[in-house]
Amino acid sequence: MASVIPVILILAIVLGLMACGYLFVPKGLHQTTIRTAIMLTLASCYLMWMVTYMAQLHPLISES
Amino acid sequence: MGDDYPTLFRSEQMSLMQFLIPTEVAHDTVAELGELGNVQFKDLNPAVNPFQRSFVGEIRRTEEMARRVRFFESQIQKDKDVVPIRPLYDSAPLVTVGPSAAHNIDGLDVTLAGHETRLGQMNDSYKTLSERTRELVEARHVLRETAVFFEKAETQQTDIRTSFDDSSAPLLQHDDREQQYLSSVQFDLEFVAGTIDRTRISTFERVLWRVLRGNLYMNHTDITEPFVDPATGTETRKNVFIIFAHGDALLAKIRKVAESMGATLYPIDANADKRSDSLREVTARLEDLETVLYNTGLNRRSELLRIGENLARWQDVVRKEKAIYETMNLFNYDVRRKTLVAEGWVPTRDFAMIHMALRHATEESGTSVVPILQELHTSKTPPTFTRTNKFSEGFQTIMDAYGIATYQEVNPGLFAIVTFPFLFAVMFGDIGHGLIIFFAALYMIIQEKKWARQELNEIVGQFFYGRYIILLMGMFSVFTGLMYNDIFSKSLHIWHSGWDFPEPASNGVSYAVSNGHMYPFGVDPAWHGADNGLVFTNSYKMKMSIVLGVIHMTFALCLQLPNHIKFKRPLDIYANFIPQMIFLQSIFGYLVVCILYKWSIDWSTRDTQPPSLLNMLIAMILSPGNVDATAQLYRGQGFIQVVLLLLAVVCVPWMLCMKPYFQWKEMQMIQGQGYVGLGHRNGGPRESTDEVLENEEEGNGRAIVEEMEEEHEQHDFSEVVIHQIIHTIEFCLGCISHTASYLRLWALSLAHAQLSEVLWSMTIEKFLGLSGIFGTIALVMVVVFWFSATVFILCLMEGLSAFLHALRLHWVEANSKHYQGEGYLFMPLSFAKLDEKE
Repeated sequence: MASVIPVILILAIVLGLMACGYLFVPKGLHQTTIRTAIMLTLASCYLMWMVTYMAQLHPLISES
Repeated sequence: MGDDYPTLFRSEQMSLMQFLIPTEVAHDTVAELGELGNVQFKDLNPAVNPFQRSFVGEIRRTEEMARRVRFFESQIQKDKDVVPIRPLYDSAPLVTVGPSAAHNIDGLDVTLAGHETRLGQMNDSYKTLSERTRELVEARHVLRETAVFFEKAETQQTDIRTSFDDSSAPLLQHDDREQQYLSSVQFDLEFVAGTIDRTRISTFERVLWRVLRGNLYMNHTDITEPFVDPATGTETRKNVFIIFAHGDALLAKIRKVAESMGATLYPIDANADKRSDSLREVTARLEDLETVLYNTGLNRRSELLRIGENLARWQDVVRKEKAIYETMNLFNYDVRRKTLVAEGWVPTRDFAMIHMALRHATEESGTSVVPILQELHTSKTPPTFTRTNKFSEGFQTIMDAYGIATYQEVNPGLFAIVTFPFLFAVMFGDIGHGLIIFFAALYMIIQEKKWARQELNEIVGQFFYGRYIILLMGMFSVFTGLMYNDIFSKSLHIWHSGWDFPEPASNGVSYAVSNGHMYPFGVDPAWHGADNGLVFTNSYKMKMSIVLGVIHMTFALCLQLPNHIKFKRPLDIYANFIPQMIFLQSIFGYLVVCILYKWSIDWSTRDTQPPSLLNMLIAMILSPGNVDATAQLYRGQGFIQVVLLLLAVVCVPWMLCMKPYFQWKEMQMIQGQGYVGLGHRNGGPRESTDEVLENEEEGNGRAIVEEMEEEHEQHDFSEVVIHQIIHTIEFCLGCISHTASYLRLWALSLAHAQLSEVLWSMTIEKFLGLSGIFGTIALVMVVVFWFSATVFILCLMEGLSAFLHALRLHWVEANSKHYQGEGYLFMPLSFAKLDEKE
């Protein structure tokens, strides 16, 4: 049964990945850039996936 | 930030440095700093006329050399055969610093002057010789044609003579008369011969006829080849004419008329032998001239080839020298210490590098006096310098095009690296198209080194400059294509679909039944061919646009915080940031939460009908507190909505009044302490003034002009109030209009998907069913057409359109939430950038 649980699960995974991205990027000339890029990418891709998933959870119309 | 690395988050910290450069080392020091490209020099002589500055003489000399180099360049370009110019990285270097520099520059000057005189002479002689060739060719034509005339005239005379034979005249007398007649033909009828433009020949005839009252005999023929003017390349067609008349007066008149009509007259002899002699002479001279012309051409070409070997190097040297002397004109000559004083903005991080460069310059020039570097304290705003590399340069440029960031404010370019391609991809989502632009960008990146050296076409150059942007755009487009489940307007069936289609009912319509499965990644492919597919997709995309938009705006709003903290404006946090955030979230954040909540409920198990969110929002504002029980989203909705609306309403006067009130109180306090009229600036101006006073006491004769030119913010209270009113209204109205503006994400992605589908169904789909060899050929042709339409219309045109809209979203919707953008760009003296400017 389609449920909201995958959304929360994936959210947790993405937050974990973002934390890893923040902590494990090596100090260097491009640390800020790489960190920001990784975290923003993860966040925006998750957002889009979440919206797409939730839009189809309990569809109000069925196809014809 | 106690940081050891520069970041894109803020612009670099800059300091104003004072250079004390001994005059001997000045040229080499500036050359070294120009190579480094890290110093932006200030003009220390703003009141001085450019013609009165110290290094005007040197600049004039370099200008002269630049003019000569430009002359060579134009000569090389005008030459019909291509003269190869050796590119800069291949040319022999010319040392312009150090003890031999002056000697080299003088030598260059002499060489350039020599080349110029030689080229000039050759050009002149070429022109003169061409002129003469032309005249001789005309003369030859005239000689030939007049020969024809005379032959005709003689044959006619013989005709007339034979007619005399009929009369009864004695033979001997006849012969005498013959002689007489022939000689009279040759001596009585004098003539004028020459050439004239074909267009003028009829006018010429008419004028002559009228002037001479018909007492002339004129004949003319065309010269078949046209004459080409060497200077302009135009062709003129001429005719040869010969006019017979008798009497000096008439001949004089003819000559005058001919000259006035622009004809050229040639001396032709009546005697046939003399004419053939002249013809031979003319031909011989022509041949000689042709040889001389050919040799001159060869010499010129070899001269141009020699110039071409070094031209790029000369252009480079001349450009650099001019820049160096123009910069040196900005310096101040300190008479007491006999040195040049320069001031410039330098990134604080690069202080050591500049020091080393100065030392290197001193070593190169061979003197032992090192220029002195001092830091100056000033309250002027430094320029904004963001250190970018080839990857971040493109993103920074497109955000800078809106406005240069204020010194050290948060740089939106950093976040645009991801948000810009992402928002582009939301509007462009198609796996196939995404792959096309990804590979195009990849190709450009692989050919980077080669392309960077070439002179690219303007449009291709633009695409090349943004190659990393396009790369990221492609990558994100593939992702959003997976989300929208769209590859060249078809959908992918990677996982199990969540819908089953039973057998169609009698009217051909079948309703799918949900089988409990969730398509895990993206839009279910079952929606693809469905009749009401668009209804679902539209609802989904619209809501997604709102969600993404509100989150983007919230993120941009939060970027205000680091700015307020860094510039020590705590008042702004409480008076601007917090009420703005509350306003935005209480209405639009609530909308987003409702969207997500409505999606997460299984409406088939609820007894209420799912409410329309748009109506709900409108009702929340127009009739707060009244929520129809049958159409409510959750219990207690009415109460919560009233609370949120009240919060939003409270924020407006909060934004309007708090900041002006506190600033007024501050002004009162300062006035109360008796410091009226001094420029009031936030953040302790007093420390710097103390230092300035200290330094004055120590007797440093620095030009301390800072305070005089400083921007005096006259804190007129009315101005503050007006500014805050505008700001408040802009924000509140902007919230609504910007949120709606994000719906363009839906609109463009819909347009893209529809366009793609139409293209497929109108082209390839029609040809798929055909069989046989003819069908296959037609299919191949249609596929080619479909692919080129995909690239040009869908990728290029739609891509540019989505690029523009994503950029607009960044510039207007996001930047208005935090960006001040009042800085000026850091423009260092950089020889590398000189090339780009050209």
